[in-house]
Amino acid sequence: MNSVELIGLDKHYGQYHALKSLDLTIEKGEFIVMVGPSGCGKSTLLKTIAGLETVDTGKITIGGKDVTRAEPGDRGIAMVFQSYALYPHMTVAENMGFGLRMARRPKAEIDVAVRRAADILRITEQLDKLPKQLSGGQRQRVAIGRAITRSPDVFLFDEPLSNLDAALRTQMRVELSTLHAELGSTMIYVTHDQVEAMTMASRIVVLNKGAIEQVGSPLALYANPVNRFVAGFLGAPRMNFIEGTTTEVGTDDALVQLAGLAPLRIALRQGATVKTGDPVTVGIRPEAFAVGGSKPASCPARVRLVENLGRETVVYADASPLVTSGSDTGTRNVTIQLGSAVAVAPNSEITIGFDPADAYLFGSDGATLTPAKPEIQSR
Amino acid sequence: MYPRAIPENRPLSRFAYGLLVALVLALWLLPLFAVIMTSFRSFDDVMAGNYWGWPSKIQVFENYAAVFQQSKMLDYFLNSLIITIPSTIAVLVLSTMTGFVLSRYPFPGAMVIFALFVGGNFLPQQIMMIPIRDLMVATGLYDTFWALILFHVAFQTGFATLFMRNFIAALPSELFQAARAEGASPWQTLIHIVAPLVRPALAALAILVFTFIWNDYFWAVVLTQSDAVKPVTAGLSNLRGEWVSQWNIVSAATILVAVPPVLMFFLMQKHFISGLTMGAVKG
Repeated sequence: MNSVELIGLDKHYGQYHALKSLDLTIEKGEFIVMVGPSGCGKSTLLKTIAGLETVDTGKITIGGKDVTRAEPGDRGIAMVFQSYALYPHMTVAENMGFGLRMARRPKAEIDVAVRRAADILRITEQLDKLPKQLSGGQRQRVAIGRAITRSPDVFLFDEPLSNLDAALRTQMRVELSTLHAELGSTMIYVTHDQVEAMTMASRIVVLNKGAIEQVGSPLALYANPVNRFVAGFLGAPRMNFIEGTTTEVGTDDALVQLAGLAPLRIALRQGATVKTGDPVTVGIRPEAFAVGGSKPASCPARVRLVENLGRETVVYADASPLVTSGSDTGTRNVTIQLGSAVAVAPNSEITIGFDPADAYLFGSDGATLTPAKPEIQSR
Repeated sequence: MYPRAIPENRPLSRFAYGLLVALVLALWLLPLFAVIMTSFRSFDDVMAGNYWGWPSKIQVFENYAAVFQQSKMLDYFLNSLIITIPSTIAVLVLSTMTGFVLSRYPFPGAMVIFALFVGGNFLPQQIMMIPIRDLMVATGLYDTFWALILFHVAFQTGFATLFMRNFIAALPSELFQAARAEGASPWQTLIHIVAPLVRPALAALAILVFTFIWNDYFWAVVLTQSDAVKPVTAGLSNLRGEWVSQWNIVSAATILVAVPPVLMFFLMQKHFISGLTMGAVKG
């Protein structure tokens, strides 16, 4: 059964087109993570599902019921906010029972629901405390507990872990995944943190400028982005994009000329629309690069910066005339991610290379031209 | 940061600061001190022009007792309370409601309504003296408690709305979204979320409004006539004789009249809790 269905959602803020004819079907029990750069409309979308924002046109159904014009309280949703939004004058127990109290449920029922949620989240000892007596992690637990007490059909999370420190974030991530498995409810989660998206989602929705770019499982999106935007958004460090031109287009592959490299033969997907002489972008993930001349396509480079993270090493190298565009660092250096601690000296000359089979090819409109790659690499 | 503390290593500046504070305080309190001293004096001292010197005879009890013997001061006190307490409560309730709606529910015309509330404060009240008096006479409310209660509620609500609107607008908006997502109606939100969180604002406002209304003399004179409705401020003038005024008695009465607002301040003080919203968001 479909849990949440969004049909043709459209929303303007004055002149600003916030949501552009959005369609999305969410199955019961899915953990949907919506990601995108700031201002992409992901929080707006979540608030329209919650009913805190209205839509201009379109339809929202939750559990088969049309709730497009329903009040938030009548939609069967519960929302967890980034800032926790706990009522400061109420104890933890009162905070968690607030929704049921407003619905005038019997006191015994509220007590049972609060106890149950507190047990799940291990905050039973905190029930009589005020929010200001709790740590950040405990407060976010209470906010989640407040959502659980109402036993909603759909949980909505608006960047709930953004205010927590790194260690706590990792812990809460695991707890949220466990909680999802335990409750089996539909959860819709908005974040800008791609680690949260990759680790928790059953499906990721990538949003950009108020429209959905791609929907799919984390690995599917990582291995087979439909366009340059999705390819660049998922993966840290970011994919290297190198501008080039096609010199020859065959039926299932093309020769691509990049500055500083011999022409590369890159496979094309069926129906890829590209002609000889078209500008294209080659995308190579940092982990697809290797240091040394072992790979088919290689060139010399000078090391600019080395980030030694212990279990991995990230090398930023100047390989001009081979230059990247739109990198995280704002430079035109190539980013190379090596799988272990490697001794690479800054300013040393190295040879970097990659296998054209690992490369992605994007057309001038950004669409992916290369055929689907396996989601799990067998190497 | 303002005000900046004077550094420890500037003893001269620190001394000058302390001296100036004392000087300003003395200037500020001088009239009050004179009134208090006069309320202890005998009538002979007043006649002799001994306003600032040590009283030749201290007669605290006599003077203060005379206040109640020579006039219906007790009745006036009661009248003042009958006017001030319901007015203050009504202003607080109304302004919390208007402030909540104006700060949280954007609707067409909200700005105009808000501007009217604020703009009303800029009208000099004296220019309304004749129309308001005529209105009260026409409605049969002239010289009743209702005349003053209605007038004060109407005119204090404007300022109080501005005050409450700004205070409620400063509360984290996620709290209201959370309440709405949990199915709380606007009324429930007002009672369970807004009211407890605006307590410090209400306490401050209560003191201000109480003092304004209690101290009002102008409208008390304009809208009342009989001793049965007259508040203390207007009643004070009854103490003045036709030819000579017993300033020692008037002073004693004045001190008595000033007591309730001061009491109000100490009563409300415990509600000034800073950081009431602490723990609501982030932290």
